[in-house]
Amino acid sequence: MSANLLNLSLFGKPEDELIIIERAKKNPAHFAPLYKKYHEAIFRYVFKRVDEEESAYDITSCVFVKALVNLPRYEYRGIPFSSWLFRIAKSELYQSFRDKKAQRTISIDSIQIGRVLEEFNLDESEHKREVLLKVLPMLKEKPLQLIEMRFFERRSFREIGEILGLTENNAKVKTFRALIKLKELYAQHNPQKS
Amino acid sequence: MTKLLVNRKEPSRNEIANRQDFETVLVNIRKVKSLNSPWFYGAIAFSSLLILTFLIL
Repeated sequence: MSANLLNLSLFGKPEDELIIIERAKKNPAHFAPLYKKYHEAIFRYVFKRVDEEESAYDITSCVFVKALVNLPRYEYRGIPFSSWLFRIAKSELYQSFRDKKAQRTISIDSIQIGRVLEEFNLDESEHKREVLLKVLPMLKEKPLQLIEMRFFERRSFREIGEILGLTENNAKVKTFRALIKLKELYAQHNPQKS
Repeated sequence: MTKLLVNRKEPSRNEIANRQDFETVLVNIRKVKSLNSPWFYGAIAFSSLLILTFLIL
């Protein structure tokens, strides 16, 4: 699901979402519409980063449990509620990697590979695809998550910043650096210089 | 080691929607809340003290 679709509100206005949150702080059962709204987006975010579908469902469930437990402390400070949920999802993912309940995975399709090669100003070929697929897992976690969010999930820099706790500008700069790092790895592992 | 999956089949919207289970989430919140409650740890501390006193006497 694209980032733009995620921003579509089922309740019309963001204020409606805040009303539901306030109600859910008193009674978690009132959280149901928000669970319904964000379940798929959170699941897909998790699914792309773990190897097993069942683990993705389990982690998604843990994300909502954690969100509801921490909901009384949630305050709206201009950051969308969805970004707050994605932050919890990110933290739950890393917890499951540490506990070895799931394996860190990069899910990529042909279109996304093409998108990255386009950023490198390279046309697609089987060899270039292979090199890119070889070097992607070599990236460190932080640059990798920026590449995933920007080029695979097509999130805006603003959304990336909100999820990672960065300013929009900082997210842009760090994504640019991550892309340079990936280009360097690509160049090191590509014997046929393009 | 990071695993790479290319052109992986994603579950459909319906499949994901069918796996929504808010009831289980609510049950798990109650469990977590009771574990985080000061009453839970208070009860454990009180029973431990009681057992200890009983053993000493």
